[in-house]
Amino acid sequence: MTAQGPETEHAAEHAARDRHQLRTLAVAITTLAAALCAVIVTIVYALSLNRLWFLHFPLGLYLLAQGLLIFAVVVTFWYVRVQERIDHTRSVTEEIV
Amino acid sequence: MTALPRQRSPNPHLGAYYGIITAAFVSLAILLAMFEELGWSEGVIARCMILLPLALYLLTAAGSRTLDPEDYFASGRRVPQVYNALVLAAITVGGVGFFAYTGAVFFLGFDALAIGLGWTCGLLLAGVLFVPYLRKAGAYTLPAFLGQRFRSRHVRMTASVLQVVPTALLLAAEMSIAAVVASIFLPLSFWLAVLLVAIFVAAVGILGGMRALTWSGSAEFIAGAVGLAVPLIVVSVLLTHLPAPQFTYGEMFGSLQSAETAAGMLPVTPGDLAPALTGPAPTAVTKPFLQAFGAINEAGFLLLFFTFALGTAALPSLLVRSGVTCSVADQRRSTAWALALVALFVITAPSLAVFAKLLMFRDMALAPTAGVPAWLSELSGRQLVQASDVNGDGTLVASELLVMRDRVALALPMLAELPFVLTALLASAGMAVALAAAGSHLFTLSASLADDVYGVLDKRPIALPRLMAAWAAIAACALFVLVFLLIADVDILRMAVTAFAFAGATFFPVLMLAVWWPRCSAWGALASLATGFGVLFLVVTVGGLFDAAETAVGTGLASLIAAVLALCAGVGTSLYGPGSASVETAYYEEMRKPEGETIFDQAQARTVSARKTGALREL
Repeated sequence: MTAQGPETEHAAEHAARDRHQLRTLAVAITTLAAALCAVIVTIVYALSLNRLWFLHFPLGLYLLAQGLLIFAVVVTFWYVRVQERIDHTRSVTEEIV
Repeated sequence: MTALPRQRSPNPHLGAYYGIITAAFVSLAILLAMFEELGWSEGVIARCMILLPLALYLLTAAGSRTLDPEDYFASGRRVPQVYNALVLAAITVGGVGFFAYTGAVFFLGFDALAIGLGWTCGLLLAGVLFVPYLRKAGAYTLPAFLGQRFRSRHVRMTASVLQVVPTALLLAAEMSIAAVVASIFLPLSFWLAVLLVAIFVAAVGILGGMRALTWSGSAEFIAGAVGLAVPLIVVSVLLTHLPAPQFTYGEMFGSLQSAETAAGMLPVTPGDLAPALTGPAPTAVTKPFLQAFGAINEAGFLLLFFTFALGTAALPSLLVRSGVTCSVADQRRSTAWALALVALFVITAPSLAVFAKLLMFRDMALAPTAGVPAWLSELSGRQLVQASDVNGDGTLVASELLVMRDRVALALPMLAELPFVLTALLASAGMAVALAAAGSHLFTLSASLADDVYGVLDKRPIALPRLMAAWAAIAACALFVLVFLLIADVDILRMAVTAFAFAGATFFPVLMLAVWWPRCSAWGALASLATGFGVLFLVVTVGGLFDAAETAVGTGLASLIAAVLALCAGVGTSLYGPGSASVETAYYEEMRKPEGETIFDQAQARTVSARKTGALREL
């Protein structure tokens, strides 16, 4: 392993931090956009969706009463998993630096 | 200097303790069911079902008493993620969700779903945008976080004063519904019931602060979940032969539509039901459950959704619990569990409303041949409904049966003609959730006033100043809300809408700027806080003269406009206002680091270390 000067270490630390922040921002935007878009689209098209039936429910009602909530739970746990991986990567990188 | 991480291991016996508490609650219900068969009166059963669990929660709080500030304000930062999730879910849903939301779904059907969806998505917003960073900051209150982030006493004190409105409104709503339930089932007037509730929530807060709220709140949530699930599952089995009400109530839609048509319910158009959210007074049910956008249109539904989503995401009572778990990752997972629990409640609530509506109007449709249903006199006796044959034709239609929105949940076991113990169980469950939420709102309000206003103004190092100030603030706030409830006639759902609107407009923009924009200055934060609160306050108070914000949808629209203006004011002032040149990013960068001790604890450790070094030098 080659010896690194303090400036190189500093730059590597900054790079790790910036990469972490960028990934965090990307996953936050993806999570919220997915959830909010799903909600807005369902509300806007609820009347049309209600003409279809799913598990004895009109589809629009089903999505607003249950489907979107289940989707929100899934998206949240996906977010938690991905964000933990991003945080772990930053910790490992900083330890190496 | 970096502080060494402290050992924060949760109590390994928690599972056993809560197993015992759950078993005790279930056993009490079973015992009372047996005693009911043996001839015990309904009054005695109701008293046992409500007062014995209250004693248990109080005992739990007394067992969690503490004089250590970290335990008192942050529950020692060692609460396991699921237990914190139980309390977060109880605060989000509360008695408002348990009674008023189910009642709103009963009256409005499809259109009321915006509220539950807003709560769930609000927790998602909070979990992604704010909670992990607040956990890393580790401040005891939300205003303290803002004060530390912007290094400004003014921001801290302003935020503390502004959080009084949403938190006090929610506190009053939760205490009111708990007192209503107590006055129905206990031999108490509403005055005495409010006093009992105020003493209970103040005692929990004073005994152990956040620690007592965590452990008694977890027990209260478990009791709430059991008490809601059991009667609902029994009714579901009776009606659909399956013990999963969430997924079987769809089968009842055909019968429900027939019953609604027979009772004279016809589709309504937006504006027919003004104000859109039904009030607490006895009201006739006029809207069919399945009709979409009858009370409010699509835009109103979206506005109501965003009001609750933004308000939940920035609710001080929820965010103050961001520092109680062991790590940032734990806190994030805890919010996800809370979201799952709230989603489960929101999925379940419509089944309760559908079952109650079906049972009520199906029996009424049969009345001309089968006679007046047996439950009518019982519900009338408990003041849950009012029935009068206005046109004198010997039958009752929907317009002649007036139902109280907040008491629909309590009516379900009686409508299904189940044993009285299940009604008492449901009442006890709803009261438990309302008390958990009320306790948290009271603590959030009082701890902030004591720590962020009094604590900032008076820095004298007296013995126990911090806790004593908090105790005094808790007692004063409980007394204030007690007097308010005795004077005012409150609509808890309307108060909740206003409270969530204020939380969203005041705190969502400033939190976005504090957590996600390093260039935001203290002046920018102040401008954002003042604009968000000020605009909504003006619309709600002065705007009332011009019919603005008269309805829940109007308040939601005002809240969203105020939030957008607050965001613009914060950005504009940070870029071009005073203090824009000195951008301080050290705190911001540290806050976004997922590892290590909280910033607050690091600062505490540095202070202790500096004091020790100073003492050694003096020697």
